[in-house]
Amino acid sequence: MASLKRSVESDPLAASISSKVYVRSTKSGKVQKIVREVYLRQDIPCSSKLCHACAATTPRDASGRAIPPVLSEAPAGTKLLPHGHYLVPDTNAFLSAMDLFEQESAFYDVVVLQIVLEELKNRSLPLYNRLIGLTKSEDKRFYVFFNEFRLETHVPRLDGETVNDRNDRAVRKAVAWYGKHLKQTKAKKVPAVVMLSNDRDNLRKAKDEGILAYSLADYVKQLKDGERLLDMIPETEDGESVKDRRPGQLFYDEYYSMSKMMTGIKSGLLHQGTFNVSPYNYLEGSIRVPAFPKALLILGRENINRSVDGDLVVVQVLPKDQWKEPSTQVIEEDAITKNENPDTEEGSGLVSEKERKALQEEVKRTHSKTTEGHAQPTAKVVGVIKRNWRQYVGHIDQSSVSQSSQQGRKQDSVFVVPMDKKIPKIRLRTRQVAELVGKRILVTIDAWDRGSRHPTGHFVRSLGELETKAAETEALLLEYDVQYRPFPKTVLDCLPKEGHDWKVPTSIEDPGWRDREDLRGLGICSIDPIGCQDIDDALHARPLENGNIEVGVHIADVSHFVRPNNAMDTEASIRGTTVYLVDKRIDMLPMLLGTDLCSLKPYVERFAFSVLWELTPEADVINMRFTKSVIKSREAFSYEQAQLRVDDASQQDDLTKSIRTLMSLSRHLKQKRMDAGALSLSSPEVKVQMESETSDPIDVKTKQHLDTMSLVEEFMLLANVSVARKIYDAFPQTALLRRHGEPPATNFDELANQLRVKKNLTLHVDSSRALADSLDTCVDPSEPFFNTLIRIMATRCMMAAEYFCAGTQAYPEFRHYGLASEIYTHFTSPIRRYADLVAHRQLAAAIDYEPVHPAVRSRGRLEAVCKNINVRHRNAQLAGRASIAYYVGQALRGRETEEDGFVMKIFSNGFVVLVPRFGIESLIRLRDLAEPEPEATFDAETYTLETKGSREVKVELFQKVRVKVTDQKDETTGKRGVRMEFVKAY
Amino acid sequence: MPLDTSAYSLALLRVDGRRWNELRRVHAQIRTQAAADGSSYLEMGHTKVMCVVTGPSEPGARRGGTTGGAGGGGNNAAEVSVTVVVAGFSSVDRKRRGRGDKRNLELQSTISNALAASLHTHLYPHSTISISLHVLSQDGSLLAALINAATLACVDAGIPMTDYVVACTAGSTSTYAANDEDADPLLDLNHQEEQELPSLTVATLGATDRVAVLVCESRVQASRLEGMLAVGVDGCKQVREILDRVVRDKGRKMVSEGTVERGIGLESMDLD
Ligand SMILES: [Zn+2]
Repeated sequence: MASLKRSVESDPLAASISSKVYVRSTKSGKVQKIVREVYLRQDIPCSSKLCHACAATTPRDASGRAIPPVLSEAPAGTKLLPHGHYLVPDTNAFLSAMDLFEQESAFYDVVVLQIVLEELKNRSLPLYNRLIGLTKSEDKRFYVFFNEFRLETHVPRLDGETVNDRNDRAVRKAVAWYGKHLKQTKAKKVPAVVMLSNDRDNLRKAKDEGILAYSLADYVKQLKDGERLLDMIPETEDGESVKDRRPGQLFYDEYYSMSKMMTGIKSGLLHQGTFNVSPYNYLEGSIRVPAFPKALLILGRENINRSVDGDLVVVQVLPKDQWKEPSTQVIEEDAITKNENPDTEEGSGLVSEKERKALQEEVKRTHSKTTEGHAQPTAKVVGVIKRNWRQYVGHIDQSSVSQSSQQGRKQDSVFVVPMDKKIPKIRLRTRQVAELVGKRILVTIDAWDRGSRHPTGHFVRSLGELETKAAETEALLLEYDVQYRPFPKTVLDCLPKEGHDWKVPTSIEDPGWRDREDLRGLGICSIDPIGCQDIDDALHARPLENGNIEVGVHIADVSHFVRPNNAMDTEASIRGTTVYLVDKRIDMLPMLLGTDLCSLKPYVERFAFSVLWELTPEADVINMRFTKSVIKSREAFSYEQAQLRVDDASQQDDLTKSIRTLMSLSRHLKQKRMDAGALSLSSPEVKVQMESETSDPIDVKTKQHLDTMSLVEEFMLLANVSVARKIYDAFPQTALLRRHGEPPATNFDELANQLRVKKNLTLHVDSSRALADSLDTCVDPSEPFFNTLIRIMATRCMMAAEYFCAGTQAYPEFRHYGLASEIYTHFTSPIRRYADLVAHRQLAAAIDYEPVHPAVRSRGRLEAVCKNINVRHRNAQLAGRASIAYYVGQALRGRETEEDGFVMKIFSNGFVVLVPRFGIESLIRLRDLAEPEPEATFDAETYTLETKGSREVKVELFQKVRVKVTDQKDETTGKRGVRMEFVKAY
Repeated sequence: MPLDTSAYSLALLRVDGRRWNELRRVHAQIRTQAAADGSSYLEMGHTKVMCVVTGPSEPGARRGGTTGGAGGGGNNAAEVSVTVVVAGFSSVDRKRRGRGDKRNLELQSTISNALAASLHTHLYPHSTISISLHVLSQDGSLLAALINAATLACVDAGIPMTDYVVACTAGSTSTYAANDEDADPLLDLNHQEEQELPSLTVATLGATDRVAVLVCESRVQASRLEGMLAVGVDGCKQVREILDRVVRDKGRKMVSEGTVERGIGLESMDLD
């Protein structure tokens, strides 16, 4: 009598409850079945301002607020749709042409279906985020319609129907419903509801069902500036692509199915990792996987199999007889594929004749020697788990442009050469070849199918003429994903209302003074580079009665102005860091804070966060404390000014004396760090001098090192370490710290071997201490720069330092290898680094100045912050360097100088020379030496390259050489760069 | 995979299509096992639990679980002993939980204390009421479902009680870290919501505002707690209505089938 019936059948509500079954595979390869309930309802509005029926049932939140309708009552029309229309794109449309939807000239009143949003999220998170951004924009009028939850538009999956077919059907059903629903409004002009898709099958079915549907191209053609927009529509498999005309010819092997890859990885037969392209050889890539101590090599187009730098790929290791040494040859894409025709893809196979020749030589070389000990495992890409495609800056390869397309407006294929040399040429179809030649342009990659040697992409927008400052700067910012748009109003609204008139409150009773120490009486000063406006830090020192010294490091109190989780904080956390280019600074925080209210400018009172120590004259820490404070800096020195004061014995004022005290203490501190094994590493640093009026670069100088620089550095390190300890004590799980991993010893194999062979020097890499010591012994008495050269090369073998959340690592992993410190964080530059701002908040909570804000205590959230700022930090560095490289090129423009340089890398057909004076390195190929290209013998054992014939030279690794430096515009990359000509070897 | 809980603000719809103040479908049955003293089966969405009550019985004849948390207690009142068995197939990851599992022990003692507050245990000194709960499927709000099922089974067993102990969960539409002042409170969380959002379980004594259980294991701003609690208590009232109907329907059916004589006990209930 009491059987347990399946309850759903007996339930009157059952009609409106459905369930969805998902199958998900976990990281470990298990498959999970997830059943989710779905409650179907009829109160989900269509959100058209025309519809009164929906207005009555509009949903309200807990405080009774309703969401106003989004879609306009009089949407724009087109030639074929005079009554106006609402657009309903399918997933495919967003995936392939998100740029179109972000246009200002068209694409308003768009219905984003829930199923589309879901699919998009699964396929591409960045695109999903962009679409969410659009739905939040008030003027674009994008409305998310939850079709899966509305009773009338819910579509159960049929037996034997694929998920894709079901989802397409759901889209069509929603479009049909919208059409019927809007008719009921009885409005005079009922807008048409248009489905947008690039999927032929879906379009055909729509037609059969009587649903109005256009392909992206057919729709765009109806718009006013359709011509221009047409270029933004990518080629798709289903579109009228080139592939239709050339059936059957497939260059690449098919990818494995996801499940095959998963099984393979689980059983250890396949490996997963990030694909990296060699900077010197576009046909060679490598991938690090846990199963092998050395990186796996991936050689040649077939094995690279359509992966692009940064993609997450799955590889299969090749049999041992195919293992090879890493290439010793430079192979550049533009030199080899120069004359390929983007339209016809001439040549019978994947590997062109020239490529084959280049690779042949490579193989000959490896076979001629017994290389068994050196051979590295090689692998082949069998699938891509996640593409790392983004938008790329490049320019059209002039040689790929046909004469006819220069004139006419017919659609034509051209190659775009990305600025980033690691990215392959992209084939682009455009109607505006004539306008785009000679411009910096932004393009994306859409697809790379088996039938195409190069990936295909579409044009996004033009940045301007090549080599104009505006275009090149924007190109650089886009390339490194630097957020450079002006701060939105919501961010500026978070600034203090007083603006530049803001002052430290005069009354000590003011809440701003709560728990702040009054340090205005101290002789504090700041020391920074010339012209520094965002002064993060200031210092003071004063003798104590017991013979010890009180030292204070005072840091701008940014966390006082930037409250957690407001719009300004969110923006700063996304930007992550201020980016410094040669002629431009892209701030993390609005100017008002960065250069005024937070900046510890001289002669005015400012809020600060102070670290105070009692130090013995030998710089041993006796006491230390942290406090929020109010300070008044006495003076803002440049490094040079401060150095002059210190050196000038006649200056005996208090400020100078305290700088001298700090100087002496900093030497002790530095010695202590060195004794602990801190590394003194090097990277070539130069400064571009600009003419003050036109801000054109006129000269390049290497940065001079002053004692005052290391003075500031030492105390900042001390402050950072002290703060790191404190916040780790208070928040063992969530403290935001910075670590520098110990590099695997194999990273130094090559360098150690080179030093042994060429200079008979040994490099010990067992610990940072051993490395520091042996780097000290790497000297060439006749060549003072040799030691710096080795340090530069050693630096490149290191790991990158990274921010992390204390709870994610075991304590021994906290170590900062380079600084030889057990624990470290960033605290001293909150104006320009977000990590420091978080550390400020954590320290403020640790000293009970304020309660802990959830944002700085939630580990998941902090991990996301770390992940982002690590990327931003790296991009900022790369952008800065690229900017210097660009300006060095500009400064050298039209000039010709001879400089000394050093050989830092050697190949069988060229070598890389570093010129310390300009901090630049450049490749000199054999064919640059003489015409015709001289014959060369390369001895990989002794790193020697000797040429015969048209020119006779002998070049060795580490050798000092004389080179002629000129500027040249690289016709293929469109970059003005430095060109080096070999003059002689010393 | 469906969208996550952050999509709520787009159209005020939750991951399964509900509004902020809606319960999932609750389906319940009592007297599912004729042989038991009291039994019930309850579904809240896809969370499915079964309950069997044995007793009150004298200590010598003590049957059922020995491990459970025991409420009431003392020699002058019956001991409420609860065991929870979580079937391995009940959750997606199919992990088996042992008898001594910490979470289980905590569930048991919470349920035991909650029921002991309503059951008139003083009528049964020196005896034990054994409540045995089986979790067949988990999709969030597990504790709430267990309490509701146990209440029904106790009603079926005819143990006198002050009122139903009814429970449900409440949450908030934005995470703790987001610290969104405008977050809506949520009623009756499913598994995905429980994973992503702050939540609490509240049980009340019948339709009153007397809170019998309040468990909050996630971090949430105190300012949001009040709204969550209010929604939770309101949800409990709805749950009570549903459970009460189940009991009455069953009673009516048993009378009409002649299983039970129209008697004193049932007369006080509205049978039409
Ligand atoms: Zn409507």
